[in-house]
Amino acid sequence: MTTLARPSPSSAFATPASTTLFRRLTWEGTVPLEIRVDSKELPANSDRGLECYYVQAPRVSYLPLLVPELKRFLMDVVFDEAAARLIKEEDWWFESEDGNLLKWHWPVGLLYDNHAITQSVRAAPSSAQQPVPLRLVLHLASPPTDKLLLSPSAEACKQAFMGQMKEADFIRWGNTKRMTGLRKAEQDGLWEGIREHNFDEYWRVASKVTPTTTPTRPQSPPPGNSTSLHTRPPSADQNTGSAPDRDGAYNVRSVPVRIYLPEGPIMQDLVPPLLEDGSAHTLGHFLAAHLPLLFPPTPNDPPFADLAFPLVQGVVAPPDTEMAWLGACMAGADGWVNVCVGLLRDR
Amino acid sequence: MAPMASPDIHNRALPSAWTSLDSGSSMQEALDALESYKKKDPSKVVVRFKAVGNAPIMKQNLYKITASNRFQAVIQFLRKELGWKAGDPLFTYINLAFAPAPDDTVSNLYKSFATEGHLIVNYSTTAAWG
Repeated sequence: MTTLARPSPSSAFATPASTTLFRRLTWEGTVPLEIRVDSKELPANSDRGLECYYVQAPRVSYLPLLVPELKRFLMDVVFDEAAARLIKEEDWWFESEDGNLLKWHWPVGLLYDNHAITQSVRAAPSSAQQPVPLRLVLHLASPPTDKLLLSPSAEACKQAFMGQMKEADFIRWGNTKRMTGLRKAEQDGLWEGIREHNFDEYWRVASKVTPTTTPTRPQSPPPGNSTSLHTRPPSADQNTGSAPDRDGAYNVRSVPVRIYLPEGPIMQDLVPPLLEDGSAHTLGHFLAAHLPLLFPPTPNDPPFADLAFPLVQGVVAPPDTEMAWLGACMAGADGWVNVCVGLLRDR
Repeated sequence: MAPMASPDIHNRALPSAWTSLDSGSSMQEALDALESYKKKDPSKVVVRFKAVGNAPIMKQNLYKITASNRFQAVIQFLRKELGWKAGDPLFTYINLAFAPAPDDTVSNLYKSFATEGHLIVNYSTTAAWG
């Protein structure tokens, strides 16, 4: 890999403190959900006055992790005893109000943002920007397994999550040594952190696989068997004063990024953290290169668009946002930066 | 997770950098752009299947597959070639490293992970690299 000089951080956004802050803000982000059992499938003798369940769900969570508390609510409040005995949560599945299947293995925040950009194409301009609950319809029977692709269990969701973590690792470094170097208990800790929505439990492990935004680490990497696999020999470091930062966000091969367009497609490509001239790869540059019809390149820098906007973790990210910074601070728990592109309405 | 409090309703203005001073921006232009990005890529890419562990080896292991297919289609194709019945275990990986999401497209995987012009798909009857 050629070594390029990392641009000096232009703001306070690349300090260790702000990295932790943005990671926490991303982690603590929640979205409002309104979950309603399909009225045609509601068992006899259900209490129809209480069929809606409202929850403020963590963006980094998954639908299968919400099912236990939803089930408890339905059993306690809505279904009668006879119906409760017959309910099999293996048959449950979710649709959005407008009939789009909701994937088991997508983070809740992605489901929410993907719905928001879908609405940006359809909805009347006046209501487009009101934060409203994502209305989900819960079906109790006949899951379309061919379209859901995964069984609804938390275990299948965990396996899919681990696959995404490893794919992100491979994208960043060209191998999955950081992920496979984790002990089993550490890998499980990542998922437990999500299940319990515990920032510290998740990041205690995730910090070993997620790049840092600072040019060099303030401390040595945590000791452990895994580090010996990929420790650089001292002779590889030309400059003894400051060792090259092997975990730096600007030293990755590529940032794990996917672009979501309303009603598809989903696009993925290699996203180098730096451009050929050594400057940081920005979101504006990235979008102009991949979606030139929606983000027309202009002579101005940063590129300037009037057709569409990018949402990252529910936030409209400005064009000069650096891709490497997004990868270190605004990725989901699975390591991926999801850029959802919505259309700007006529004003 | 807590029951939802009253939603915090407020209008969020878009940062000015993404909006135009030209109020005549065309929704139609944007919709046309979306349509063109929705068009499926008809090109084909070469997938190389490689058995791992006890999995049976395929006589032919190089196939051209339409890039717009989902990885799920690759899994189904492989199951058919191997004569696998529904429920027979089959685990698939890219580059001996990770299992991709079944809804990812062959095109996306090829762009990120192709090796010497091939997308290498490993298959196993037991979970590996789990």
